Amino acid sequence: MSASDFYALSPLLLLAGSSVLIMLLIAVRLSHRIIQISSLLLFAISLYSTVFTADILPYRIPPLLIFDGFSSFITALIIFSSLVVNILSYVYFDEKEESPKEYYVLLFLCTLGSCVLAISNHFVSLFLGLEILTVGLYALIAYLRGRNHSIEAGVKYLVLAAFSSAFLLFGMALIYLETGTMNFSEIGERLRTVDNIPVIFITGLGMMLVGVGFKLAIFPFHMWTADIYQGSPAPVTAFIATASKGGMFAVLFRFFASIQGFNFPEIITILSVVAIASMLVGNLLALRQNNVKRILAYSSIAHFGYLFVAFIPRNAISLEAISFYLLSYFITTLTAFGIVTLLSVRETDAEDIGRYKALFWQHPILACVLTASMLSLAGIPLTAGFIGKFYVLAAGLQGGFWLLAIILVLSSVIGLYYYLRIITIMFSKEEHAEIIEKKAHPGFYVASSAALVILTFVILLLGIYPDAVIKLLGGFSMS
Amino acid sequence: MEAQSTSLNYLPIIFQLLVALGFVVFTMTLTHLIGPKRKTADKLVAFESGIKSIGNARQPFSIKYFLVAILFVLFDVEVIFMYPWAVNFREFGLNGLIEMFIFMGTLLLGFIYIIKKRALDWD
Repeated sequence: MSASDFYALSPLLLLAGSSVLIMLLIAVRLSHRIIQISSLLLFAISLYSTVFTADILPYRIPPLLIFDGFSSFITALIIFSSLVVNILSYVYFDEKEESPKEYYVLLFLCTLGSCVLAISNHFVSLFLGLEILTVGLYALIAYLRGRNHSIEAGVKYLVLAAFSSAFLLFGMALIYLETGTMNFSEIGERLRTVDNIPVIFITGLGMMLVGVGFKLAIFPFHMWTADIYQGSPAPVTAFIATASKGGMFAVLFRFFASIQGFNFPEIITILSVVAIASMLVGNLLALRQNNVKRILAYSSIAHFGYLFVAFIPRNAISLEAISFYLLSYFITTLTAFGIVTLLSVRETDAEDIGRYKALFWQHPILACVLTASMLSLAGIPLTAGFIGKFYVLAAGLQGGFWLLAIILVLSSVIGLYYYLRIITIMFSKEEHAEIIEKKAHPGFYVASSAALVILTFVILLLGIYPDAVIKLLGGFSMS
Repeated sequence: MEAQSTSLNYLPIIFQLLVALGFVVFTMTLTHLIGPKRKTADKLVAFESGIKSIGNARQPFSIKYFLVAILFVLFDVEVIFMYPWAVNFREFGLNGLIEMFIFMGTLLLGFIYIIKKRALDWD
């Protein structure tokens, strides 16, 4: 490896090094506070290094890794989400766990795995990144081991993730059998020499889609989502909803773009069915839920269905639409789970919708932040979610996928119901639900709230004045 | 790579499924049919290593056994990486040596963590 390889890899090397450093800090028995602050600094440094290394893009480390505008953007987005999760974690874990420190080591490792996914250009690096991410998540999901739901969620995730990894591996093996290579661009070259897609290849692709679909929680691999969102600690849920899905989506997009899978009608049909079903199932299942975490779980299924509407056409604005939608979805979801985290008490997370009754009259700022994020998830104008959905719709219509676009609009209308339900409950003026005030760590509590308020401003800014970000995203290319 | 794509190409996959399934069914049926069976009261009693079992196997035991076992696996797997490295030591040259030192160094840091966390203290 040359010096410029190390330079390009510096965000990942920093993440990997940080996990070792934090482990040593734990070994010398520093307090939770010091470990939280130092991991925050390390996340900030690796986030900065993604910006810092942008000058050598595009860059390749053959055959495994590839760095371009898109991958660099996704890497930055993943590290940013982990940074926000890290800020929220202190208040949440300090009162619930006697030893919450190893959590930060695992968070660094999961972030690293997700970033490897975002830059991988080869089945080996894809699988490596996936396993680094998933093995860390097993422990993170079951971190609050005193809670019944937590253990249940951890075991469910372990069994299902291992099972879907097996499908992914077998799919890779079948594709390798047909093409004789595991590099995305070389697979694409082999595929260009044939008119019809070979049967073994499409079987392999289907099996890979099981593994990928599980991670993205798209229909019909969505069954785990609600249980695991509910059982995990709220900051970990935020991480699963954002960082872990973002990396997988990026690698899926890169794979399909490299093999030019969009030229084959069979693949378009499969993906369209998945997209339509995810949009409808996600929104319909969320309607009758009374648990905020479960509502957000089903809404995430629908949102990844929306993303597929921009994904399938693979035209000029697809890349821009996907990047913008991921940005707006990440920020909005982090805000929503941030509020859940801040309202959680020692025994349970703030997941019952009754906990939010008349929240506005007690915590006006938190209620406004959650309102903004719900409106953005629903796609109301003046929020980031609207611009994102508009972009996705434009990409779908430009490709002439009318059915997808119509389903997107219709299912968004269904989705409006449950997002607005949370908002009306917060503003209802009835007897107050008992809210236990957090006085244990006022400093960290204020810092977490401030971070959420800033994110809310970003949501509004992206909704009102998206030009600056759109210009940045328009410059992306995928090599 | 074959150009045509017919349903005939699915045949290898179906064969693989059939063989996998057939093997299980075949061996299970065969052993059931040809195995001699002389059932006596002693034989039908559950036993472990030729001795009658005492008590229930599903009882809680100290988590420390598990911890030691998992740490053993961790450092055992590390050695697996050293064998191929040692065989190709000359070809790898100085770079290979440095890479191995980085690998071992990281593991050593993990070892320090384990010691400091008192994972190996039995009491």
